[in-house]
Amino acid sequence: MAVAYKDYYEVLGVPRDASADDIRAAYRRLARQYHPDVNKEPEAEDRFKEISEAYEVLRDPEKREQYDRLGANWKAGQDVSGTSGFGGGFGGGPDGGFRDVRVDFGGGGFGGGDFSDFFEGIFGGRGRGRASGGFEGFSSRGSDQETTLELSLEEAARGGRRRITLADGRDYEVNIPPGVRDGQRIRLAGEGARGPGGGPPGDLMLRVRLRPHPQFDVDGRDLEVELPVTPWEATLGATVEVPTLNGTARVRVPPGSSCGRRLRLRGEGLPDPGGSPGDLYATVEIEVPKQLSDEERELWERLAGTSSFDPRRNR
Amino acid sequence: MALTQVHTTGTVMVGIEVVAREAGLHPDLVRRLVRMGVVDRSGGTRATPLFRNDAAGELAKAARLRHDLGLNYAGAVLACQLLARIDQLETRLRRYEPRNDRPR
Repeated sequence: MAVAYKDYYEVLGVPRDASADDIRAAYRRLARQYHPDVNKEPEAEDRFKEISEAYEVLRDPEKREQYDRLGANWKAGQDVSGTSGFGGGFGGGPDGGFRDVRVDFGGGGFGGGDFSDFFEGIFGGRGRGRASGGFEGFSSRGSDQETTLELSLEEAARGGRRRITLADGRDYEVNIPPGVRDGQRIRLAGEGARGPGGGPPGDLMLRVRLRPHPQFDVDGRDLEVELPVTPWEATLGATVEVPTLNGTARVRVPPGSSCGRRLRLRGEGLPDPGGSPGDLYATVEIEVPKQLSDEERELWERLAGTSSFDPRRNR
Repeated sequence: MALTQVHTTGTVMVGIEVVAREAGLHPDLVRRLVRMGVVDRSGGTRATPLFRNDAAGELAKAARLRHDLGLNYAGAVLACQLLARIDQLETRLRRYEPRNDRPR
């Protein structure tokens, strides 16, 4: 394949007999001008690569000498693939003379990114998979990332698919297992940080956080809810409605229930895909009327006068 | 397993080892660049700082500038800060410049 000759001296704007100091100074001046971190013009990066390639050759006396030997023939034409300097003496083919040339691409720059076919034709291929900053040949798995996935208790209980969008714009359709618990992680394989040097990406972990619920407290797979009852329901016993995640259920309040008594509703807690669901615990809270009608007051006064119950007697 | 944290604002927060790996730099060099002010920690503690996930890009840029322009690290840090300032000023300037496609 025809490979166009590159005049590295012209690229750096130095004469062919320039000293090493002149070459370095020219490179630094052009690098400051065209470095992609400094110059945002679209052609700057290509120009900088060209400058870096030229400097890579001319700063090294051995490579410069090899290049100069080719240079003696370059005026034969821009296409140098058929010249004796290139095809014969410079190892353009697989049996060429410079397979052993080690090119030093020491750490960190843009410049060593991808040199031209011309360069590789003379000096051989360069290392691939270098990290952005300096460990040549360094490649590893990307780091795992973690973000928080907030769910309501109802969403966590029933599971299903949920679309999430991250701050960086990535969005995913996530499968939430029914009964997912607070703190549990959902793994999205391969969606973490990219691996340095072309390594495989890490995973994205979604850590589930359950939003506080206005009625239910969560304890593992069990739920707790307050159950307000009247004094006469607590005393005489009653069957009352209690809220559940799926609606309501009826629970029997045994006679003589004091505040704090816990009534269990089996299986009304959070589901467990691998086992039995948790329970719902309704805690009795006795509430008294703040305002009484005349008749109510009279009845309470009759009860007070009749009852011998004294909760402080045995304390 | 190394984990990164995400701030409630959605910004990914990563530890110094992760920043170093993503920037392709040695963790000791990252610590040095942090001390020189290339990036500031965004969370964690003084002993185990956390950084925004774009910190790796800033650190890698400082390393590139040092290498490619023949600067020392202090010069590279100054260059990074000046470039950031230029970016800010150019953004502001664009807001005040009349656009050519607007009718006069």
